Amino acid sequence: MSISLKRARAIFVKDYKEFSRNYAVSIMLLFPICLALILRSAPPSLLHGAIGIVLNTSFVILPCFVQACLIAEEKERNTLRSLMMTPATTMDVLIGKSTLVFVMSAIVLTISTYILGYEPASIWAFVAAIILSIILYTAAGTICGLFSQTVLEASLSIIPVAVIFTGAPGGAFLVDDYPILKVLEYVPSSQLVYLLGIPNIGFTTGDLLKPLLIILAWTVVLTIVSVVLYQRRLKDE
Amino acid sequence: MQFQPMYYDGELFLPKIELNMTSNQSIGIITDLKRKQLLMNQLVDHSQFYLFRAQQSEYMRLTVEELITFLIKVTERNERVALLMDYFALKEERKVKIKDLSSSKRMYVTLLRVYFAHQPTLVLEEPYFYLEEQDRRQFKRILDDLLKEKQVLILTSNLEDAIISCDAIYRLNEFGFHQLDIRDSEEDKQEVQKQDEANITLQKISTKRNDKVILFNPPEIDFIESIDGSILVHVGGDNYDCALTLTELEQRLLNFGFFRCHRSYIVNLQKVREIITWTKNSYSLRLNTGKDAVVPLSRSKLHELKALLNI
Repeated sequence: MSISLKRARAIFVKDYKEFSRNYAVSIMLLFPICLALILRSAPPSLLHGAIGIVLNTSFVILPCFVQACLIAEEKERNTLRSLMMTPATTMDVLIGKSTLVFVMSAIVLTISTYILGYEPASIWAFVAAIILSIILYTAAGTICGLFSQTVLEASLSIIPVAVIFTGAPGGAFLVDDYPILKVLEYVPSSQLVYLLGIPNIGFTTGDLLKPLLIILAWTVVLTIVSVVLYQRRLKDE
Repeated sequence: MQFQPMYYDGELFLPKIELNMTSNQSIGIITDLKRKQLLMNQLVDHSQFYLFRAQQSEYMRLTVEELITFLIKVTERNERVALLMDYFALKEERKVKIKDLSSSKRMYVTLLRVYFAHQPTLVLEEPYFYLEEQDRRQFKRILDDLLKEKQVLILTSNLEDAIISCDAIYRLNEFGFHQLDIRDSEEDKQEVQKQDEANITLQKISTKRNDKVILFNPPEIDFIESIDGSILVHVGGDNYDCALTLTELEQRLLNFGFFRCHRSYIVNLQKVREIITWTKNSYSLRLNTGKDAVVPLSRSKLHELKALLNI
């Protein structure tokens, strides 16, 4: 399958213009920043918790929701089907859209982290975890978009993602009552919280590597699933 | 181009169709919604056919110019936007967002997607349906230019739309797939009009149904019956009220091969298939219409009928 950067860029520019004029969705960009401003006044002892909440909620709202909306809107208007008949390949379309979502998410999340004043144990591990997470949630958003026919359905379809991923760190509190919930520790959002909580002094590389590897595994699996599903679903139509 | 036959409820819904399409030719198929869908669903090869479906919509928040730029880039053509805008006659709408265009203009802009198709065959569903006169003319001009290199298949339910830009027109319905001879049919119409002028005497039978007046040509009628003083005209399995009496109808329809077969029945002899003899004194006529219709025949009328039919 050929990938043309020129076509992907055309899709990127088109989606950027569409997105920036769709205020109902683009206002979501302000959500992480507002959340960061509210939690900024939290006492320093709770800062790790605060950054965890901000990031894990923002991931669902930003990359996931926006990507789902972008794909569902194209499906709603039958423009995706029309795109399939142009030389643009599946990968062109996905790369164009994902890049836009990635850039926007990266900028907004950087601003929110800055507002919160969080200083990670290792800046490289932190950046790597954020980048992997954005890709992971974009893939989840692609899957949500593929299973919904309209933008309205897309905004509802991200609820399961929100429950499973954002809710996982909270579910960890119930582990004593329900041992089965121990599985939730391996959800990427829990791993991210764990990574954020590593103290600035006295950590080993192994401490950092384990959550990163788990997040990486999730990212690779979800990305492959989303690309395969995308090709499969579009052939059916 | 080939279409496979399709069956629906045990009946042939779509016959096997083979279209010999040469380049520079546009073919129109007049058919109904369901058959349009079935035809398009068979054209899945994206390297051969560009499908334009009637539900196609556009990126509403882009301006017309931005959309054309996007289409040029995504199809990797080397054309200049400004020149194309001129060619499409969209210069005035350059900066207008697509959602703010009039519905006819919006459809026209959406239709421009076919211009960017690289496939050798373009298949369009109802292209002219939502267009106003001026946009129709513009789009026909573009389609004519496209025809220099490509072949076009137009699926529509409207004969007029097909006539706008098709060289050959076919009709596809429950009776199969037949070509319409456009030129002949026009001449025929003129002849029919002349005939009408010549003998303008009332040939039609006027009936009423749900407060609507419906006129039938005599050959369409299967039979007429009188029930409790009201006259019912049976056509194709349905019945319609008529204000005339049976005697009046009998006189009027005599020249069309109708026969008063019973005190309260007139039958169209062209449609009689069988004379049923129940007993020595009772007879019926079975008609060869779609539904199984049987009309009584009086014994006294039997001889008259036999004489009429030379049996």
